[in-house]
Amino acid sequence: MRPSSRWTPYLLVGPAVAFFTFVVGLPLIGTIALSFTKWSGTNRIKFIGLDNFVRAFHDDVYRLTYVHTFIYIAATLVLEVAVGFGLAGLVSVQGKRTAWYRVTFFIPVMLPMVVIAVLWSFIYSDDGGLINSFLTAIGHDDWRQVWLGDPSTALLAICVVSGWIYAGFYMAIFYAGMQRVPQSLLEAARLDGASEADLFFKIKVPLVRGMTEVAALLCITGAFQSFDLFYVMTKGGPDHATEIVTTYLVSTVFVDHEVGYGAALSVVMSVVVIGTGLLYVKLRRGDGVDVEY
Amino acid sequence: MTLSTDTPLVAAPGRPLQPTQQRRKAGVRASSVLFYTVMTAISLIYLIPLIWMVLSSFKTQNEIFDSPWSLPHSIDLSILGEAWQRGGLGTYVANSIMVTTASVVGILLFGSMAAFALSRLNFRLRGFFLVFLALGLLLPVQAYFVAQSTMLDRLRINDTRWALIIPYIGLGLSLAVYLLKAYIDTLPRELFESARMDGCGDLRMYFVLVFPLIRPGLATVAVFSILGAWNEFLLATLYIQSDEYKTIPVGLVAFTGKYSTDYPLLFAALSIITIPMVAIYVIFHRQVINGITEGTLR
Repeated sequence: MRPSSRWTPYLLVGPAVAFFTFVVGLPLIGTIALSFTKWSGTNRIKFIGLDNFVRAFHDDVYRLTYVHTFIYIAATLVLEVAVGFGLAGLVSVQGKRTAWYRVTFFIPVMLPMVVIAVLWSFIYSDDGGLINSFLTAIGHDDWRQVWLGDPSTALLAICVVSGWIYAGFYMAIFYAGMQRVPQSLLEAARLDGASEADLFFKIKVPLVRGMTEVAALLCITGAFQSFDLFYVMTKGGPDHATEIVTTYLVSTVFVDHEVGYGAALSVVMSVVVIGTGLLYVKLRRGDGVDVEY
Repeated sequence: MTLSTDTPLVAAPGRPLQPTQQRRKAGVRASSVLFYTVMTAISLIYLIPLIWMVLSSFKTQNEIFDSPWSLPHSIDLSILGEAWQRGGLGTYVANSIMVTTASVVGILLFGSMAAFALSRLNFRLRGFFLVFLALGLLLPVQAYFVAQSTMLDRLRINDTRWALIIPYIGLGLSLAVYLLKAYIDTLPRELFESARMDGCGDLRMYFVLVFPLIRPGLATVAVFSILGAWNEFLLATLYIQSDEYKTIPVGLVAFTGKYSTDYPLLFAALSIITIPMVAIYVIFHRQVINGITEGTLR
């Protein structure tokens, strides 16, 4: 449609573009520019070429953050996506009232991550925590751990909390997909003597396969961007055992005041996330995932 | 007609059940019991931590440490008032309400304006703006927050509510424009054309025609924008240092630092934040679940 006057389209788009330029556009250019410099935030900016990137590839802690992210991804693919898938299968069993369960499993998704992080820090607490006292109660004092304080358990402990939060989210996605399976198909299969398990594995699972790819990619890109849980529960510790990209980025920029180096770290990370994101867009184009809950 | 496993498919009314059918019915009932038992057990994994949190705020420090699984001896609601007072939760809640309201109004207004123009009006830079705004869907916050914090610093708006409102609007716009544009795209063409024939200008068309018609789309955008701003932590913890401007997530972290040894008070503070949210969620669960899943799936 032709605009009623030459300037109205710009008037309508203007505020959005202005905000976006100020909040995302300019800072993006700024961050890329800063990644080639050495700057503490207050002294004079010094151009140092690719030195920051060379340093990043030799930075043991930075490399460690990616190792942790990959462990986190592997764990959450199971604890979030696979568990969510299983939950979706359970709440979509025919003829059962599951509305209340669906509402319950989704509660942690909408709560502030900080609240959950603080709450679970108490649950993991070595003294008076729910888990350790439960282990004592069932006669396994020897299983007690300083869950978040021990480098060997801290990362896994956070993965479990992440699963507790997001399994319900993936359940909602898969449930929506499974509900789109035509009822007539399920009825026909049931009349032919198919059990609920058959319906799940032979009809619902294949039909939502496209969604599992989407969910997996969502889980992966989300993992690279996660911050809240790690920052509140362990601040990346103990001894960098739960250091992930963003916690390291924040301490580099805002604690060590290495703004230029931090900018380079965020550029590297963004390239990784965008690469995964583009893959996601490409997969998405294939099948339209419409969620109608 | 609805068919379910609870009703045998072949038994006609009045005819006695065959033995196999009786066995089948009993089996269905047993599997039903098993099903609901399993589901309730899973629910407890979600509910126990939350119930424990609320109950612990009514226990003494020693009770929390010595018997974490026990029930409180009495429910004294005054601990909630104490946590609210001593922790200054009122300030945090007020800030969250202000920041969230301003951000969401901005996202809805500017987002729907842009979505209308990008969906219905032909103009020179339309394609460019579409691609430009879509960048926001792809980029993580981490790609630009380093320079963003420097910019806010230089403009002397860091450590104010604007340091959150402005970024939240900018961050939320991409998704809002994208979803609302898809929504406006589905409206019939004739609607706009006949309005135009009647001499309706672009701005009037936006306010009178588009804005009321896309209300369901706006509701979806509102849900995830509200939750996004309300729960946002990364930028809030980096940009806000003064206690008087902290939002709930940052305020809670400050609270846990200040009263790290006073467990009942901490649990009370967590409960104060959580209980109203869960209550609102239970009422609007359909909208909330829809909004979050749609907002994340794009």
